[in-house]
Amino acid sequence: MLGEKALELIKELDRSKDGQLPTFNEDSIRMVLEEMTTLFEQNQRDVNATVAGDVRFFSGVHLRHAALERNKRCLLAYLYNRLERIKAMRWEFGSILPAEIRANICEPEVQWFSRYNKNLAAYMRSLGEGTGLDLTQDTKPPKNLYVEVRCLKDYGEFEIEEGDIVVLQKNTTHYLPMSHCQHLIRQGILEHVE
Amino acid sequence: MNQHSLHYPSYFPSYFSINDILATNERVPCKFEKAAYGVGYLDPSSGSKDLEAGTKLELPCWLARALYSRRRIVSCQLPKTFKERYREILKAEASLVDLHMFSPHFYEFGQHLLPLAGPEAPILGTLLVETLRERLRSIMDTSLNSLEDEASSHTTKLDELERSLFRTGRKTFHDHRLWLSRRAHIVTTSPMVEQHNKRKFSEIS
Amino acid sequence: MFITDLRKQFYNLITGKRILLLVHFDVDGICASKILQSLFRTDHILYTVVPIQTRTDLINAFQQHAEQVKHIVLINCGGCIDLVDLLQPSDDLVFFVADNHRPLDICNIYNAEQIRIMTKLGDEEEVPAFDDVFREDESEEESDEEGGKRPRFDEEALEKRRERRHWEQQRHKIIFDYTQFSYYGSSTATLMFDLAWKLSKDSNELLWWAIVGETEQLISEQTEPDKYLLVTATLQNHVSRLNHKAQDEQPLDCLRITFEKELQLALYRHWSLVESMRHSLYSATTLRLWTLKGEKRLHELLAEMGLPLAQCKQKYCGMDVSLRNELQSLLESKAEKYGLNNILFASFSISQGFRSKFSALDYVYATSALLENTDKEKTATDAFLDVTDSLTISKLTVLEKGIENSKQQLEAIYRQVQTFLDMNQVISAGPFLYATVIEGTPDARFFAAPHCLSLLARFTLKAHVAVSRSKKSRSLPLIITTPDVRSSESNICLVCGIPPTSEESPRNFFGKAFEQAADKTGSKAELEFFDTNIIRLSVDDRSKFFDALISLLS
Repeated sequence: MLGEKALELIKELDRSKDGQLPTFNEDSIRMVLEEMTTLFEQNQRDVNATVAGDVRFFSGVHLRHAALERNKRCLLAYLYNRLERIKAMRWEFGSILPAEIRANICEPEVQWFSRYNKNLAAYMRSLGEGTGLDLTQDTKPPKNLYVEVRCLKDYGEFEIEEGDIVVLQKNTTHYLPMSHCQHLIRQGILEHVE
Repeated sequence: MNQHSLHYPSYFPSYFSINDILATNERVPCKFEKAAYGVGYLDPSSGSKDLEAGTKLELPCWLARALYSRRRIVSCQLPKTFKERYREILKAEASLVDLHMFSPHFYEFGQHLLPLAGPEAPILGTLLVETLRERLRSIMDTSLNSLEDEASSHTTKLDELERSLFRTGRKTFHDHRLWLSRRAHIVTTSPMVEQHNKRKFSEIS
Repeated sequence: MFITDLRKQFYNLITGKRILLLVHFDVDGICASKILQSLFRTDHILYTVVPIQTRTDLINAFQQHAEQVKHIVLINCGGCIDLVDLLQPSDDLVFFVADNHRPLDICNIYNAEQIRIMTKLGDEEEVPAFDDVFREDESEEESDEEGGKRPRFDEEALEKRRERRHWEQQRHKIIFDYTQFSYYGSSTATLMFDLAWKLSKDSNELLWWAIVGETEQLISEQTEPDKYLLVTATLQNHVSRLNHKAQDEQPLDCLRITFEKELQLALYRHWSLVESMRHSLYSATTLRLWTLKGEKRLHELLAEMGLPLAQCKQKYCGMDVSLRNELQSLLESKAEKYGLNNILFASFSISQGFRSKFSALDYVYATSALLENTDKEKTATDAFLDVTDSLTISKLTVLEKGIENSKQQLEAIYRQVQTFLDMNQVISAGPFLYATVIEGTPDARFFAAPHCLSLLARFTLKAHVAVSRSKKSRSLPLIITTPDVRSSESNICLVCGIPPTSEESPRNFFGKAFEQAADKTGSKAELEFFDTNIIRLSVDDRSKFFDALISLLS
């Protein structure tokens, strides 16, 4: 059936869960594009014939055109949804993506990600009358300036305000400023205990 | 499905919606009213180069709609799960039906069928609304009251739209409970990171 | 230096500073640390908590975390070691020590600059006088002796040297007397609660931790019953102060602590009565439940109390309510006949909303078992955090897991005691008794942990005394050894010594004795634990180590 390959791309994306991104499937995309070229060329030929007065071909042209549109939609949706996911990852993982994910994204996506990073950073710097505002912080209204956290992994030295250093070692407990350790909690290095 | 796609629910048809693309891929029985030349490969049983008028073929919904609109190159029938017999089942006791077996995108697909349904369209439209109305109560009920590990057994019989409602219900319930126990402010590991770590862990071990 | 006004001499000094809390692996210590942490949180004092099990842990934690911190609080560890000597801290570092281990190190006591030992007012120890153990002229004298080449024969110098020798002998004796016995001071958790109270920051939850800490000391026989009663009286005052409101004036789900008489039975509310009696040290050793006769006596007792056996064998929560309500008074009325005079003791229980009631005893058993979890997946520090969690009132599931763990532990102990007695494996070595858990015993994984091992030791000794024909066994201490299956090295055993049952106070001379025996024989022994009556020893050295002990103690 027409558009089958393109649908596979969409299914592939649908199957992968949150926090995952399948490898950029260049092969399938190329095959979809080849299918589209064939369809286009056939249509071109038949349209010329139609213009020449032979109306028999009209149904076929119409069908192939629909398939072209469908393929286009699938490809664009594939690219778009990947970007959306990468964007969401920026908010969850932070400005540096885990290596396993970086390995699965293609070069234009890498560029897009770094531009998105830059834009976001510039925007956040411009907020709060010159002081900047980290929008990724405090996604939940904080109750306290300080929190008790537990260290889930050996992380090593971690700087909290003005050069004060805390050594984050597995299974140690700390009481730290919320603003500093929030992203480590989000990253699964610290656990917020109450 | 992910949390993320909740923001792009496909019942608000979006060009990029994955759910919508999948729903429009469901098959519809069609009959070619006009011959289509050069696309005979769509019907592997015929072996001829062209599709003759009168050929019966199951086409994906997107294609059926394209060919039906304006020029009526094909005429369409409702797929069997939307036909009289199945409609009767749904009317009798909608809440017990395994809707996912009917179609994983039952409501979604149903809506796309409306323009193709001809005189049956009003019946189909009512059916969709009534079915959801019948089933919603028990979906809400189980999503708010079942235990964590029971949840998956409840969702197997739900179509994708219902599943996303179920998940939303559970999440709200969970948030509400956190709020009641005054733990809503507790920051947790981001679910995406957690998923990612879990996968990494299982790959190692 | 001792400090007794914790508010002025400790809390006010550290407010606004960053604190390193080093907490020993014991329930009392964790309770104390939890109280302290919640105080710190109210005042936004930043802290880091590091669990400490051995001396090596202490040194490592100090090296890792102390760099940025000027104030270190040690809980239930470090008081008995010369901290300055061990850790070589920089001059501006101050240690605050709240340690229930005794005797405290003399250098710590007389270090006024860097060591502050927190104690309760009126809890002062008998410490050797400064002049008896330190001399101003010490260094001067030594250098004099080394430097002076020509011998001095004049009268004055001779006199001086004789006097000095006498002083040194005297010093040696004083220090030996002082350090001979290891014992325990009052619970650190109650000390910290006292501070919270003085800061007007006390609450039911903090009070509960203090109660659990204190009860743990009673259960592990670190405190005398008389002293326990005194502390209980104080705690009871706090309980009535914080729980004076009538039940209907308060929301249903609030926390309530009640002071009441409690049965000295392990976890009976979460077990069946028969199981609980069998596995509790007191009832099992008094009734000698591991014998057929004992079993009969138990049935007789239950029959006399009018409790149907079927009811006693099912879960306590499934027993008839009327029987449950009368259980205490029934047992009390028959106690004398069966020698169970002390079956009731003053204790506390906690309840919240519609949850079932937990007694302080339940908490102690559950948390101790969690602390020495046998789960291979869990590291020691994981267990430490589990205990921390289980003490948080809202985290009930962890506590319930602890209760199950504790049952397994108690069952393992009971089985082992039975084996010891059936096989006559408690052997007299002259000055002491000893018993060995045989290599390859499946239950050994339970015993390879300090708390469980000493519980096994106490159970074994009491059981042995109860069946032994010789009167002498009452006055003999016991040493128990078990393969250290938890350690990564093979061929290592744990050795634990406990004082005789005739001894009223929990004073224990094994710490010093182990040290000397290890010194004498050059055994491969690790005196790593802060509870000095437990050591790790190479199995190969065991026999020569025991020979040395025998000659030392007889």
